[in-house]
Amino acid sequence: MARTIPVEERLFSLVLALLATEHGLTKHEILSTVTGYAARYATDRDRGSLERQFERDKEELRDLGVPLETFDAQGAENDTKFQRYRIPADRYQLPEEVRFTPDQYALLGLAAQVWREGSLSQDSRRALTKLRSLGLALDDAIIGMAPTIRTRDSAHEPLTLAIDRGQQVTFRYLKPGRTSPELRRVSPLALVHHEGRWHLQAHDDAADAPRTFLLRRIVGQVAVAVAGSATHRPAPDEPARALAELREIWQRTVAVVRPRPGSEADVVLRNRAETRTVDGGLEIHTTDLDILADELTAFGADVLVVEPASLHDAVHARWQAILERHG
Amino acid sequence: MAKRAPAPKAGDKLTFLLALVPYLIDQVRVSVDEAAAHFGVPPQRVRDAVALITTSGLPGDDGAYSHADLFDIDWTAYEERDVITIIRAPVDEIPRLSSREAAALLAGLQVLAASPSFAARTDAVELMELLGRGASESVAPVAVAPSAPDDLRALLTRALHEQLRVRLDYVSTRGERQSREVDPIRLDGLDDVWYLRGWCLLRDSERTFRLDRIAGAELLGPAAEHEAVSVDPEQLFRPAPDDQRVTLRLPVSALPLVTDYRGPDDELSVDSESGTATLTLMVGHDGVLGRLVSCAPGAIEIVAPPEARAAVAAWARTALAEESV
Repeated sequence: MARTIPVEERLFSLVLALLATEHGLTKHEILSTVTGYAARYATDRDRGSLERQFERDKEELRDLGVPLETFDAQGAENDTKFQRYRIPADRYQLPEEVRFTPDQYALLGLAAQVWREGSLSQDSRRALTKLRSLGLALDDAIIGMAPTIRTRDSAHEPLTLAIDRGQQVTFRYLKPGRTSPELRRVSPLALVHHEGRWHLQAHDDAADAPRTFLLRRIVGQVAVAVAGSATHRPAPDEPARALAELREIWQRTVAVVRPRPGSEADVVLRNRAETRTVDGGLEIHTTDLDILADELTAFGADVLVVEPASLHDAVHARWQAILERHG
Repeated sequence: MAKRAPAPKAGDKLTFLLALVPYLIDQVRVSVDEAAAHFGVPPQRVRDAVALITTSGLPGDDGAYSHADLFDIDWTAYEERDVITIIRAPVDEIPRLSSREAAALLAGLQVLAASPSFAARTDAVELMELLGRGASESVAPVAVAPSAPDDLRALLTRALHEQLRVRLDYVSTRGERQSREVDPIRLDGLDDVWYLRGWCLLRDSERTFRLDRIAGAELLGPAAEHEAVSVDPEQLFRPAPDDQRVTLRLPVSALPLVTDYRGPDDELSVDSESGTATLTLMVGHDGVLGRLVSCAPGAIEIVAPPEARAAVAAWARTALAEESV
């Protein structure tokens, strides 16, 4: 009776086999000899399921940063039967010059602690596990001042994976100011955190134009198309550009509001980044007037919108809608 | 720190195996407990890994596993003294970071770099460059624009480091404006919102203050010593005994928008046919109700208790009335 081989043992054996081979191994060689496949290869009638397993394992290894290469045998181009697989040691191993001083290492430990829950915390945990093989001790340092950012929007992980794999995605999106979601089909390009919110920068493939989405407003599951289906790939400076654009929108989108002096609204809005006192009230910034309308609605009678008129009307309509719901 | 350790996935376990091997080789001899402490895992995970590693190997030329290629350890040292010494290993390379792993650390550094305590660290830039080279692909496109520290945060950071008492002009969620004397314990940023945890002289106990509700702050003399109770930043807002239970009805699509108000004792039921969710949660006081329904105005309806419903209606009516004054 063959024992059940745990997934990590199969993957570990696959990495060892592909690292050791100089000229690459064919799929047949892998499936018939590597632990985790070999026993099933000998007994299973259904090779198809074993081959699909191998495809998923390749994907998993690439996601983990293992550079798994595929190359055609000479004279048999594009024939998957003769394709060979290997992991080149020089691309697998951390370059010799990437070594850290104890101070830098401690800083990396703190950087990893920025993330709470979710995919970024998983990724930084794995990064630290790898770097721990350098042998430097990492204190679980506790500083009196800890910035933490959550990646708890459920869309975060599927979107980072989709960007990595070049996949187009579809999801339902609840646009700010709307009450029912609409379906969007996009090629994801970058994830950026701005003013406390995660944004997806993407190319909207239906509109054929760049769009920004709030992760919090993505409804339900993100459906992912096949690898390589994305129509656009991130430029090297994609996140920096996305942030610069949000920043530019924030700079030019302003409203004037009049909070009740001394109220919570007054204190909170004055503390908001880049608020300044103007004639008739406070000038505040936002990236989206519909989101600002929700935020101002929450202050109730403690705030009055002076301009723009559209914002005044939007807040008015929101209070009206709330009253109708509860009248 | 008391953090829930999530159950490791196969990817985590593989990463651990690939990192453990070069570490063991580099250390020459290391006890199970030392290795476990170094990686921050229970000793049993190290033992499981050793068992797995020593049964793995490479297929030989004829396709069968050849013992010459297998891992081998000093079994006597392992069995008698719990010490791991690798004698033979087919792999000794330290693995590169994946593009997402490098991105997670880089974006974390971006956040740290914006803190007053780290602003002076010139080696952070060099470190970011180094990390980029340690990734197997180009670094995943993830970035953070942390809020620039303002005067208030700088002042409170100084108070924290120099252990000074501060006087805060604070407005509570109930809209009460108070002068509070506080001995700072820690500053926590959570998604761009900063919180001061400190010993409140007025209440004579630990309290949390949101920085954006502080209208002004001044440094007083030295702070007193207090028995510090470390709190997970996410547990800053535990339900108080006088919280009321409120039930709301909302479209399932609006559920993520009320995440900030959710607690561990919520009751949630979803009618998938109509796409409607019914959520019962704890609300501190009536002032919070208006804020809660404003997460998705018009889409969220408070259904119980009737007093809460009436309070929201009155709240909206007052806002509309003030507007037309």
